[in-house]
Amino acid sequence: MSATAEKVPSRRHAARLREGRAAWILALPFCLLFLTFTLWPVIQSLFMSVTDTRSRDLRTPFAVEFIGLENFTRAFSDEKFLTSAGNTAYFVLVGVPLTMALALAAALALDKGITKFRSAFRLGFYTPVITSIVAVAVVWRFLLQDEYGLFNTVLGWFGIDGPNWLGDPNWSMPSLIMLAAWRNFGTGMIIFLAGLQSVPWSLHEAAAIDGANTVQRFRHITLPLLRPTLLFVTVTTSIGYLQFFEEPFVMTRGGPLDSTLSMSMYTYQQFGFGNYGYAAAMSYIIFVVIAIVTAIQFRLLREKT
Amino acid sequence: MRRTSAIVVATLTTTALALSACGRDSASGAAEPSEGKSVSEGKATGTISVWAMGAEGEKLPALAKQFEAANPGAKVEVTAIPWDAAHDKFTTAITANQTPDAAMVGTTWMGEFAGLGALDPTPPAIDKSQFFDGAWKTTEVGGTSYGIPWYVETRLVYYRTDLAKKAGFDTPPTDWEGLKSMAKAMQDKAGAKWGIGLQAGGVGSWQSVMPFAWSNGAELTKDDGKAYNFDTPEVLEAAKYYQSFFTDGISDKAAPATPTTEPDFVSGKVPMFISGPWMMSAVEKLGGEGFKDKYGVMPMPAKKSSSSFVGGSDFVVFKNSKNRDSAWKFVQFLSDSKVQVDWYKQSTDLPSVKSAWDDPALQSDKKLAEFGKQLETAKAPPSFPTWEQVIASFDSEMEKVTKTGADPAAALKTVQGQAESIGTGQ
Repeated sequence: MSATAEKVPSRRHAARLREGRAAWILALPFCLLFLTFTLWPVIQSLFMSVTDTRSRDLRTPFAVEFIGLENFTRAFSDEKFLTSAGNTAYFVLVGVPLTMALALAAALALDKGITKFRSAFRLGFYTPVITSIVAVAVVWRFLLQDEYGLFNTVLGWFGIDGPNWLGDPNWSMPSLIMLAAWRNFGTGMIIFLAGLQSVPWSLHEAAAIDGANTVQRFRHITLPLLRPTLLFVTVTTSIGYLQFFEEPFVMTRGGPLDSTLSMSMYTYQQFGFGNYGYAAAMSYIIFVVIAIVTAIQFRLLREKT
Repeated sequence: MRRTSAIVVATLTTTALALSACGRDSASGAAEPSEGKSVSEGKATGTISVWAMGAEGEKLPALAKQFEAANPGAKVEVTAIPWDAAHDKFTTAITANQTPDAAMVGTTWMGEFAGLGALDPTPPAIDKSQFFDGAWKTTEVGGTSYGIPWYVETRLVYYRTDLAKKAGFDTPPTDWEGLKSMAKAMQDKAGAKWGIGLQAGGVGSWQSVMPFAWSNGAELTKDDGKAYNFDTPEVLEAAKYYQSFFTDGISDKAAPATPTTEPDFVSGKVPMFISGPWMMSAVEKLGGEGFKDKYGVMPMPAKKSSSSFVGGSDFVVFKNSKNRDSAWKFVQFLSDSKVQVDWYKQSTDLPSVKSAWDDPALQSDKKLAEFGKQLETAKAPPSFPTWEQVIASFDSEMEKVTKTGADPAAALKTVQGQAESIGTGQ
């Protein structure tokens, strides 16, 4: 081998090393921040979920017993946790379709029907999304009051004796679903509106010439083209609703008779009692449920090719 | 390829090491009752950092000025923290060894903080007999006292005197039967919609149920105060009595989510309820002029004896305080009888020191004096770290008892079962 032939690759090698080192140095601050503030909490909470960590172990986080999956099996035999899971399912199964229907209806109205004051309506529908839940809760508690609330006063005009919305275990969840749908449909509406406006007008025109009526055009042109938008809104709304917490937290504290206790709310309570291991395990159960539900939605609503 | 396997081996080894390092010390927990070290003589010096919550946190600096005037070398730095954030802030501070020198602490947190080994035992110089017995008990965890009861509150029965006269009760009843027939008469003769406003289960309802149990001689702990004790005839009788108000239609089982106690009391819709001293100013403010003479307070009606719930806040010194002696001097200052009266005037917090109640400021108000009398027999819940969790299950079982008419005996059995599986946490 000649000397020159040997020198060239080694110089190239050195340059690559230097480059690699520079890249690492540049990436280091991010990596450190990511490791300490994103990855470490995940690892620690995973660790907690398989131990019997309680609040009194905070000073010595490693001096705890390793108990395997006991926290998880305990959750599935915990009556209250199962109640909260049922409540969450109720909230998601009724709340998500309702919110999406409202969002789509509002988006269609803004796209086609309402031409005057369109931006005023858009702002109006979107306002609940950006209003603080604490303020909203105060107003809604007044609206839903048993005797003098606006809901029951209006129902009274029609001779209907309205229920004790938040005080009756059968009506508390529908009340919260109503509140959540009202509060969240604005987000879906904005996204649907963008989706609707990207449906090419020429397709509608061609179909109309072929004699398709409005309903048929909506069913066969608008909906298929909205599929990606629908998927996005379904997934984000479901993820939000599976973790629902604020509504019962500010309105009912999970009552009456645990009828509005959600999984997140129960997890929060367990953290409050200092049962960190158990609460961490429950958070991971919620995480797995969300992952499964999202995967199913992706399968059902994916583009058919 | 070789590098990946090296990484795998390294990871596995670290995990194994980390896991084998786990496990509790078997000796932990069983601490013997002990007494605090004594405090040095002389005046306080240096900076004393103090945390206090809510309105107390805002008003404490003014009181601390008195202490600074008497101890020229000392400076008290009060940090006001909101109640909502307080518990988290304390546990974080304890974990990180960043506690203040002294702090106001909610009575139900004492067990937890003492269990974390964060509190300094009370020095012998502080005389426990000067405090109300029930209030002093809130500072005791496993036989050792940590800190002092700073201010107290207890629950009495509020009633409308004018409506009570209409109902045929010129003097308030003293026993269970009397209370119930009075509430019933309020409905039948005085036009009240509900006889008495009782909380139908839910968060904090134990504070209205337990006074009945204590008035029936219930003890909430057994085995030398080492275990919970809910499933007893005394508690059961109280739960049944409490339930009967709902089954007889004297109390509203579907009370609104936002309580309307004050307006209902003023309008006469619900002319009786059980609550603490803060309700006096609340109903007088709403009732307007002259309402002061239209209502009264009576001690908890007795089955065996009259006994209510004692709450309030304690004042503690943290173990890793760098200025321990001066911090205790500040706590001692707070427990001084005259300072307690001054504090009452500034904050309307009721004194925990018995002799402070002889002061004309507290004696002149007849209703307030009733609270003072009740405090002598008022009881505190056990100071187990798991109390909040156990009592939450009691609250939710009581909700079933009052709202759906569930069997109180079965409910208490459930509570006892859960209490035993949760344990005392000590």
